[in-house]
Amino acid sequence: MTRPVYVLGAGAHPWGKWPEKSQLQLALDAMNAAIADAALSWSDIQALVAASSRFEGGMGWGLHANEVVQAVAEQGIACVNVGGACAAGAIAFQTAYSMVASGQCDVAAAMGAERMPKGFIPRPPGSPDDVTDPDYLRWIAMGATNPVYWAIEAQRRMHDFGTSAETLARASVMMRRNAVGNVNARFRKESTIEEVFASPMVCDPLHLLEICPVSDGAAALVLGTAEYAQRSGHRIIEVAGCAIATGQFGDPARRIPTVSSQVRPDVPHTSEVVTAVQRACTMAGIGPEDIDLLEMADNSSWHLLAWPELFGFLEPGQGDWMLNNGKLDIGGTLPVNPSGGFLSFGEATTAQAVLQICELAWQLRGDATGHQVPDAKVAMSAVLGLGANGASVILKA
Amino acid sequence: MTITPAELATAPVVAGLFATEAGRAHLIGSRCLGCGTLYFPQAISCRNPHCHDKTIEQTALPNRGILYSFTVQRYRPPPLFQMDDWQPYAIGVVDLGQGLHVMGMLTDIALDEIAIGMAMQLTLEPLINDSQRGSIITYKFKPETLA
Ligand SMILES: [Zn+2]
Repeated sequence: MTRPVYVLGAGAHPWGKWPEKSQLQLALDAMNAAIADAALSWSDIQALVAASSRFEGGMGWGLHANEVVQAVAEQGIACVNVGGACAAGAIAFQTAYSMVASGQCDVAAAMGAERMPKGFIPRPPGSPDDVTDPDYLRWIAMGATNPVYWAIEAQRRMHDFGTSAETLARASVMMRRNAVGNVNARFRKESTIEEVFASPMVCDPLHLLEICPVSDGAAALVLGTAEYAQRSGHRIIEVAGCAIATGQFGDPARRIPTVSSQVRPDVPHTSEVVTAVQRACTMAGIGPEDIDLLEMADNSSWHLLAWPELFGFLEPGQGDWMLNNGKLDIGGTLPVNPSGGFLSFGEATTAQAVLQICELAWQLRGDATGHQVPDAKVAMSAVLGLGANGASVILKA
Repeated sequence: MTITPAELATAPVVAGLFATEAGRAHLIGSRCLGCGTLYFPQAISCRNPHCHDKTIEQTALPNRGILYSFTVQRYRPPPLFQMDDWQPYAIGVVDLGQGLHVMGMLTDIALDEIAIGMAMQLTLEPLINDSQRGSIITYKFKPETLA
């Protein structure tokens, strides 16, 4: 038997490049903001889950929960550190959710804090560097960068549905437009299709302004029971759906960093995310028609067109018409990434999915100043992480 | 003693990726004896959840297929990828049949002439050719030539 779980508070450090701030400081800023937003103090936090695959000694990704509590509140609480690459933030949220839902604790927090390295992301120490290691193969045998994988999907979409370069560029323009009013976004200047076309071609058909850069950032959420939610003073936000999933055999997606796919009929593309979305919808007892806004991982402009279709929110190929007719805008029928998305934030891997869920909470509370979706009642996040990790969260006002 | 180019070693970018038999190159993969699934590179087990045998054996993969999609890598990848006279090059996904789609560099075709649906075949080409390291070979796909 589980009990309902509510978002008590949300906080973020704005995304950008913050060379003067430590990762720990970014984390503390986000955590302190979320705790203050919940009208609580550190002594109320009974568990902290961090999106982090950091090893002892500071190698790897994210920041351990232990480092945060050791810096600010040594009070014996449970610290859990979860991996999942770019989906890790949502997996951390799911873990914190489970701790409250199961009755293990009444208040738990989830956080992600990231400072991305300059230039290319280095390979982790101890990699085997042989034929069994796909991440080694994709580099040494063909130099396949991440945008190659997204570009191959985009090129195929152009072939299958006649998606134009203009439509792909328009998806990027929409993200920058949404970000103009969002103080947490890094790139907040409106762009034009001409500017997208004038940016360097990275991997045909994707230009530099159609792929997400990397950023530093941190985000945190405080979850708790109904009793705490009533005391927070905010509009009550319930976690209606919360699911994680991994990939299915036969998925046709070009999955980073693999160099092959075993394609089987009737297996969903990007199955790890599609399955998570379906599970979250089932748990919430809702369908696509009930979703007022979607915050999804737009690693490229292709994702913005394809993912709502893969989730069954749109018919295959319908994304182009929806985008070109303003239906995915903040005032449209299916607002996608009112925050401005990864294309306007730059990805701060382990923190990104936590920020997505913060954005859902702010939208449902009417606190998304400058990029508010009118009358939002149900909001969904969806994210993909390396290693075939998918996660989706549905919040309800 | 001077080493002449002819005496230089020729080596694959990584061992176990491809082989040549009777002048014909093929990728080395795995085939599941239980369900027939083909894997590339060689797999440690069959990943099909409905397959209960999961015994796999090494196999020579088909060396012809259809271009499913492609892109052009326009900026230089990180230094783990080594290539003489670097310039933008194409990477494609080739459907080798039986559901196996394999990614690889494309060669022997102008970047603006590549089209989805083209018939492709496997070929081996050096990425690097120098006096220190010799020839480092990778696999690529090129437009099919009728044998
Ligand atoms: Zn099998």
